[in-house]
Amino acid sequence: MPLYELGVILNPTLSDEERNAFLGELKELLTKEGAAIVKEDVWGKRTLAYTIKHVREGFYVFWQYEGPGTAVKPLEYRLKLSDQVLRFLNLNLDREMQRARKMEKVRAEHKAAKREKREQRAGAAAAAAPAEEA
Amino acid sequence: MSKKKYFVKRKKTCKFTAEGIEYIDYKDLDLIRQYVPVSGKILPRRVSGTNPIYQRKLTRAIKRARLMALLPFLGD
Repeated sequence: MPLYELGVILNPTLSDEERNAFLGELKELLTKEGAAIVKEDVWGKRTLAYTIKHVREGFYVFWQYEGPGTAVKPLEYRLKLSDQVLRFLNLNLDREMQRARKMEKVRAEHKAAKREKREQRAGAAAAAAPAEEA
Repeated sequence: MSKKKYFVKRKKTCKFTAEGIEYIDYKDLDLIRQYVPVSGKILPRRVSGTNPIYQRKLTRAIKRARLMALLPFLGD
């Protein structure tokens, strides 16, 4: 099951109870879909770089969760509907890392090809040198 | 008599290649801010010396940070 990272910006005017209730609801939804939260990172209130919906501040929460891909759709649907959420971003971290590893592989192949070429050239030069001497 | 001005070229290095950073996190603002001047624009490779592979990843990370209102779309 892939690892996802969800970032949510909540309305800062929410009281602690309201916020916890909403986050609890999200957690419930995740567990119902067979996903489990691996890491929780709460940044708290932060000034936004620009206003969203006429709001200058936001309450940042980041979750990393592991779960089936089928959990993504209902989660995003719920986040989209809520008017307490200013913005959210859900990423598939596994896919991101896969991209990184793919690049690594391509680069390693390039390097190996280059080295081989260099060795070939060196070998050819070594073979040509004694011939010149004679 | 003309005085010749000498300009010492600084060697530009790619931080990501040097440190072996695989994935650039959009939440890592201390890192990302080094590549975003006050104008809010993404620093070009020409200036920062970042490798093409990492420049693309960096761009993606910066754009995500903008979406999450961590960085401005328009700077000062």
